[in-house]
Amino acid sequence: MAWPTDITVTDKGRTLEVVFDDGETVRLTAERLRVESPSAEVQGHSPSQKRIVTGKENVAIVDVQPIGNYAIKIVFDDGHDTGLYSWDYLRKLAG
Amino acid sequence: MASRDEVVAALGKVPGPDGKTPLPDSGAISGLTIRDGKVFLAIVIDPTRAKALEPMRARAEAAIKAAPGVTSAVVTLTAEAAREIGGGAPAHAHAHGGGQPRQHGHGGRSSAPIPGVRHIIAVASGKGGVGKSTVACNLAVGLAMLGLKVGVLDADLFGPSMPKLFGIMVKPELAPDGQKLVPLEAYGVKVMSIGFLIEEGAPVIWRGPMVMSALNQLLREVVWGELDVLVVDMPPGTGDTQLTMAQNVPLSGAVIVSTPQDLALIDARRGIAMFKQTHVPLIGVVENMSYFICPHCGGRTDIFSHAGAHREAEKLGVPFLGEVPLDIAIRANSDDGRPVVASLPDSGHAGAFLEIARRVAQTLEAGAPGAKPAPRIHIG
Repeated sequence: MAWPTDITVTDKGRTLEVVFDDGETVRLTAERLRVESPSAEVQGHSPSQKRIVTGKENVAIVDVQPIGNYAIKIVFDDGHDTGLYSWDYLRKLAG
Repeated sequence: MASRDEVVAALGKVPGPDGKTPLPDSGAISGLTIRDGKVFLAIVIDPTRAKALEPMRARAEAAIKAAPGVTSAVVTLTAEAAREIGGGAPAHAHAHGGGQPRQHGHGGRSSAPIPGVRHIIAVASGKGGVGKSTVACNLAVGLAMLGLKVGVLDADLFGPSMPKLFGIMVKPELAPDGQKLVPLEAYGVKVMSIGFLIEEGAPVIWRGPMVMSALNQLLREVVWGELDVLVVDMPPGTGDTQLTMAQNVPLSGAVIVSTPQDLALIDARRGIAMFKQTHVPLIGVVENMSYFICPHCGGRTDIFSHAGAHREAEKLGVPFLGEVPLDIAIRANSDDGRPVVASLPDSGHAGAFLEIARRVAQTLEAGAPGAKPAPRIHIG
């Protein structure tokens, strides 16, 4: 499984760049990460509960914190901080 | 360095969205993050009043900037969660934590290493009653006998066993800072357990959030000092405690204890799967109660079957660390608070535990299979 080696917030918090040890680098916008947050506040507890989050085109990342060995917590400047992004999920978002 | 309390105090002079209630008491603060003197604050407002509240935003920003240790402040107005705040009735705001800024919610706290502690390992089983705590205790004493600096954290808050197993019946003292607890020592191992703080036989009856907060205190509000290994004795199952441990500290690895019988192996498999999902490296599997030698006739009986855990480990591609027999000496010494690995060091049982400790120490030195360094995080 690909493992991240470097996670960088750039562009004044608008972009998250993740370098994986298989040579792949993925870039995700803060907006994409915010509206696709894996948090139950966004995804609900079943697909039918998923909330469509809009109006986040100017959202920025203010902090990134490690969660154990498997994920990061991303803190956004709108106060959203309950999404835990696993390495697999970050790869999945990148497509 | 700016502290949360100082920032909140500075905001106390700024009226909130209603023009009079101070911001920290208004219930409108939806997020407060402080990093290296940089402060980010989110205030929830009714989006139709965004323009009218711009002066409040500017005042809040100025107040934070004036607080000691603050290098920069960014205050944003957001309509996020406006429905939760409702009409902003004071009673409602107070019901949610007395108007304090919302702490990080149920999304898990961030995991920082514990200063001075090189490796944290979890001893887990899935099933209860397979001898996890006895293995954890003897593994810890064995590691100490190999010359390592070792601590034991009893994470089984509902059924703490470490006071009994180590024969410690006193309460821990407060450190000179008046905040942290000093772990108790026995057999060269520093031990901390909730069992030291409550009467024997008194139940701990808590829901999940209390478990999370108590675990964090046992991990971080204890003067562990310099440790090579902190052995964490986990409760059975794959619930709050396991998830908190997997999220709040970087675990170097996990040791799975199982009896050889199928009924225990089913849950051991669940435990292994949980650690795999959270990318905690598996140090290996210990087969406890592996066989029984009759003290009267010398005949051997495989009470819980035999080698089941060994086979399971091979099937799952996890190292097998060794087998420990079912024996009255282990049981009796454990109940007397004398870990068999130290009290009967020349016995076969002690040998089995020491060999397991040796393999664990070697694995930690070389890095558990699949262990990878945490990614570097840069915030530009």
